[in-house]
Amino acid sequence: MKKPGLFLSALLASLGLWGQNLSDLIISEAMPGNPSSVTDDYGNHPDWIEIFNTSQGTVNFGGCFLTDERSNLTKCQITKDDRSARLGPRQVAILYAAGNSALGTYYLNFTLPCGGTLYLVSNDGRTIIDSLCIPASLPEGMSISKFAHDNKEMVFDDIHPSSPSPRSLNGRHEQKTRAQKMKETDPNGWTLSVIAVAVVFSALLILFLIYNLSGNIFTGRVRLKRKARRGSPEGPEAAAIALALSDYTSCDEDIPAAIALALHLYCEGGVHDTEPGFITIKSNSSSAWGNKSLNFRKQTHKI
Amino acid sequence: MEQIFDSLVQFWQFTGFANCTWQHLVMIAIGAIFITLGIVKEWEPMLLVPIGFGIIIGNIPMFPGMNIGVYEDGSVLNTLYQGVRQGWYPPLIFLGIGAMTDFSALISQPRLMLIGAAAQMGIFGAYLLALASGFAPNEAGAIGIIGGADGPTAIFLSSKLAPDLMGAIAVCAYSYMALVPVIQKPIMLLLTTKKERLIEMPKPREVSQKEKIIFPIVGFLCTAFIVPSGLPLLGMLFFGNLLKESGVTRRLANTAGGPLIDVVTTLIGLTVGASTQADKFLTGNSLKIFALGLLSFIIATTCGVLFVKIWNLFLRPGRKINPLIGNAGVSAVPDSARVSEVVGREANPNNHLLMHAMAPNVAGVIGSAVAAGILLGFLG
Repeated sequence: MKKPGLFLSALLASLGLWGQNLSDLIISEAMPGNPSSVTDDYGNHPDWIEIFNTSQGTVNFGGCFLTDERSNLTKCQITKDDRSARLGPRQVAILYAAGNSALGTYYLNFTLPCGGTLYLVSNDGRTIIDSLCIPASLPEGMSISKFAHDNKEMVFDDIHPSSPSPRSLNGRHEQKTRAQKMKETDPNGWTLSVIAVAVVFSALLILFLIYNLSGNIFTGRVRLKRKARRGSPEGPEAAAIALALSDYTSCDEDIPAAIALALHLYCEGGVHDTEPGFITIKSNSSSAWGNKSLNFRKQTHKI
Repeated sequence: MEQIFDSLVQFWQFTGFANCTWQHLVMIAIGAIFITLGIVKEWEPMLLVPIGFGIIIGNIPMFPGMNIGVYEDGSVLNTLYQGVRQGWYPPLIFLGIGAMTDFSALISQPRLMLIGAAAQMGIFGAYLLALASGFAPNEAGAIGIIGGADGPTAIFLSSKLAPDLMGAIAVCAYSYMALVPVIQKPIMLLLTTKKERLIEMPKPREVSQKEKIIFPIVGFLCTAFIVPSGLPLLGMLFFGNLLKESGVTRRLANTAGGPLIDVVTTLIGLTVGASTQADKFLTGNSLKIFALGLLSFIIATTCGVLFVKIWNLFLRPGRKINPLIGNAGVSAVPDSARVSEVVGREANPNNHLLMHAMAPNVAGVIGSAVAAGILLGFLG
């Protein structure tokens, strides 16, 4: 009984984690022994940790935990229900490891250990969202940072000491906008214009081809091949049946020809029974066409 | 007594008279002109009247910091303006347009779609000219979209690419849309011969309901896969049309094409107008934008008409297209199609081009949304 319960609780916890996008948070940078790279509201230079939201949505990390002890994942909780604990898309937050969490929402009750590991833990107190090892030999004045090779995919797989860069995306600080790149690569705009015109024409040309085809199908100019019905005779088979009938009855040649034509039409879909407006060769008991009483006036009009 | 005098002085300082500058008066005059054109001339009254009144609202001189201006965070106008700023209104308008538009003309004559593509040259012509005028690529893209003659698309793209220029771009786009008959007619007459204006086109075939239902689904899949960045506009346009044509969501289609689009049009017009505060609007850039916008309309109309003329060289008699519907490739629905009809009937009173012109006209809506998606993809 315990295992399904555990499984369910783990599942629910992970669902909760995903539901709030907490899994999109990473510890992107940390700096023990901060000389002056960051100054807090009290004018001090505490150790600091940078949390980065890799997603395109806002994530509320209030209630999550930060710890430097694997055995004590709930060592320091970030204040719950604090609006300032909402992290916008691709935004960073700086938390101060000042050793006193009473100083404010962003203050932790421990300082950063060189040679230790930092853990960011979900608000369930069990699920580790991310971790960062701080090397024991971290040079003075340097921070330990995670870098993304591809800022589009946001895969932070490169961790090494670097110059501190609090409150900014690590690595490529001067990310050029697409417009800036376009200004460099296509200053006169001809390339973009030619590509864009080609794409607009292609999109509408594809639509034209599709609707031209569908129009032809709907108006009957192009007929889709119908699948032969199982068990129904094909054209040559119809001719063979007619020949057999001719031999059997040894009657006039017109009769098998008529039978062959009728069978051929039937096989090719030339005989219509359902569509209105077509004359059918099949009898229809519900039709009143043969009822003379409906076709002739009982009394002639007198002028 | 002194206290009363001080209070009166303080009150005076809060009045519009004390804070008025000549720029405010110029903008109020522009707003009054818009309203006059809308009411007296009936040029796009649904757009020009709200925009005109919005211009007046936005340019009432006021003491800053009272939290009532459109650019002051948290004010009522600012909250309503977020629909423009964040780009919520344009897709909602596209939903309504989709729910109101009958694409039969396009489905029955799909070849006329290409005219809608040709007329988008106005966008890229204006983009090149804007770059040459010293605008940054993102600003040039936002200015270029004026050539699409589609107000919501212009607002959507400029809110993403160049929010600072949005007021000027939106007012420019809507102004020229209202002036479509004035701008397009002389160009059409200049580029066509009397013989060409007399060309009669065969009556479009009737379109089945099945085709009308398939159109928005296939159309959306094709265009959205090619230009995913145009998703908000294209998705809403085709969704609105599916609501209309499916026949089972009539109430939703009526709401989207009626009350919803009316509400959003009112809000977008009013807030866009209000965003043209004198200090942000009366700049050299705004004048440049108006000049470029006019050029983009001229280029779009010219390309549409010339494209048909060139195409006609390859068409056999009886299949030729009247070049007067070339102007309708811009997406000012249905004004540009109406211009084709009017000019066509001036040449031959029995030649009705409206239904034919509606095909490139609605293709222009799709084309300009695709073009906006491309610009957003490259420059956003």
